[in-house]
Amino acid sequence: MQIKLNHINKIEGHAGFMASVLNGDVKSAKIEVKEGIRLIEGILIGRHYADMPVVAQRICGICPVVHNLTSIKSIENAMGVKVSQETINLRKALEWGQIIHSHSLHLFFLSLADFLDIDNDLKLVEKYPEETQKAIALREYGMAIVKIIGGRVVHPLTNEVGGFKKVPRLEEIQTLIKQGEATLLTAFEVAEFFKGIKLPKFERETEYVCLDARGEYAIYDGDLVSNRGLNVPVLEFEKNFHEVQRPREIIKRVESDGKTSYMVGAIARINNHHKKLHSRATQYLDSLGFSLPDYNPFHNVLYQMVEVIHGIEESLRILHILANSNLENAITKEYQVREGFGVAAVEAPRGTLYYHVDIDSKGYIKDVNIISPTAQFLSHLEDDIKKYLPEILNISDKDKEKKMRAFIRAYDPCISCAVH
Amino acid sequence: MQKQKIAIVSLTSCEGCQFALLDLGQRFLDLMNQVEMVDFRLLEDEEDAGGKLDIGIVEGNPTTKENIETLKKLRKRSKLLVVLGNCAAMGGVPEIKNYQQQKNTIKHVYKYIQGIENPEIREVDNFVKVDFVFPGCPINGEEFVKYFPELLKACLPEGAGKIPVIPDQPVCVECKKNGNKCLLLEKKPCFGPMIQGGCNAVCPSSRMMCQGCRGLRPTGNVKAMRATLKNFMTDEEFENTTEIFGLRDDIEDRGRK
Repeated sequence: MQIKLNHINKIEGHAGFMASVLNGDVKSAKIEVKEGIRLIEGILIGRHYADMPVVAQRICGICPVVHNLTSIKSIENAMGVKVSQETINLRKALEWGQIIHSHSLHLFFLSLADFLDIDNDLKLVEKYPEETQKAIALREYGMAIVKIIGGRVVHPLTNEVGGFKKVPRLEEIQTLIKQGEATLLTAFEVAEFFKGIKLPKFERETEYVCLDARGEYAIYDGDLVSNRGLNVPVLEFEKNFHEVQRPREIIKRVESDGKTSYMVGAIARINNHHKKLHSRATQYLDSLGFSLPDYNPFHNVLYQMVEVIHGIEESLRILHILANSNLENAITKEYQVREGFGVAAVEAPRGTLYYHVDIDSKGYIKDVNIISPTAQFLSHLEDDIKKYLPEILNISDKDKEKKMRAFIRAYDPCISCAVH
Repeated sequence: MQKQKIAIVSLTSCEGCQFALLDLGQRFLDLMNQVEMVDFRLLEDEEDAGGKLDIGIVEGNPTTKENIETLKKLRKRSKLLVVLGNCAAMGGVPEIKNYQQQKNTIKHVYKYIQGIENPEIREVDNFVKVDFVFPGCPINGEEFVKYFPELLKACLPEGAGKIPVIPDQPVCVECKKNGNKCLLLEKKPCFGPMIQGGCNAVCPSSRMMCQGCRGLRPTGNVKAMRATLKNFMTDEEFENTTEIFGLRDDIEDRGRK
């Protein structure tokens, strides 16, 4: 028996799915990429480092902030550029804004309909007008942070190597704080609504990988850790995780040293760091009644909701600090262009995003490598499906297709990022 | 009256232009309620049943055979074909590879290049007739709100409306209106004077130079721009910067005319 999805809608980028099942055994399960190459790493070679954040963030229209941040951090590490605490705080706020708006989009507009058996979001919007308004409000807060600090939502402008070209005014920060406080209340309501959604049962034990930093729920920096004892600096990313290109495939999959697939993203971060969540996020997590470690990938959707609440709490904490800081300190100061190799990792909405860059003495790029979350979890997704499919063989073909779509979408894959 | 039919399709791209639409929030949903959305795979699972469209909207680069086929089919079905953004209109960042030695670019990225489609990047209007362009990387959602209803009218039987034309004005007009300090006057590079406005000068308002993602304006004076920039940008830097958003080939074409 073959299960074939020509096109999985409602994910970022283009992909299909194909599986073959023989006598109840899944012989193969494969995500098929349906878009072209852009060769972002290749086109950066020979270009000036200042072009890199501008070009690299265009890998993805939904998570440009994290590509922008990770490229800037890798260049700063390569050239030994230090930035102010104000710069770091502005960047952390940007990244939380990114996570909040990306998660809200996925939660409500890309994934929710799967669990309500609705095939078109315009119908979803009609049936749940109040919830739609609230989901839009969550998304708008995340976007407002990016717009005010970054200058624009899709492909932000102000952040650069060494700091910011322009910083927000105090009144703008205060407006964000007000909006954030109101949004936190809205988030509880959306979260309650999501609690009522029935998610399928399934589990497969696995390794969860994410960043870890002392004293906080890490997203901006830290070391790489996993629930299976991995604990290495980001500089050793490529020693532990290897990109493998299979012939004719345009996504370079990532394998861990153990040769088994592993998982990144909200479910990985919550599993590893739930003790570091802020109070309201913890309260909501507890109310879900899931026992941790949790190996059900469908729960990724609800863990994104937990992160939205935490993200609002954390962004408010940072915004209060920013409101009492002299943001002029975040304006880029002069620095020296130096030859060097640098790496950086930032938690993207979908998991750890990794960059390395090698720069010559004049500031031109000699080499660059980008490893996206979706490239890391692609094999994990297929491995999960191989276990999941036999559990649903008794339902009709149409329902099987629906379940497959829902499963793939719960992962929130970003095919544009994975191919880049 | 029956609702007009539209489809939003994306080729190889970051999909940022579609997100610029979604980011309009309720205003986008309101616009979409006035039409019948036949295909918008970011929001719906239903299969596109085919058939005639009033407006086909397309984003991204046609880089695979499948992309090109999708594009041609969309053109055939649509009264008006409208493109979203810099990739479709000007080649976008992927076009940088056209200025490099193409075969080397792919070798930096892939070990096995056999079977991977790697054509030269060509803008959508090399494949099909384009009726209207929403320029920018990404597009300005506000422009969509403004011109989309006019485009809908232009599809109705004769005389109901005309395809709109974005006014020929430089980025500088909105930049001044926003009260920005002029980057050029501070002796910093900016392409604003030769580039099509309508973006609310979003980049220079963030003190980021205009790199020309919206393209040359019809009366943009490239020679004068180059002369001004000579003082703070080498020819090589100028050329490199025009590659980012696929402006370089347009400037070369303008030079030939």
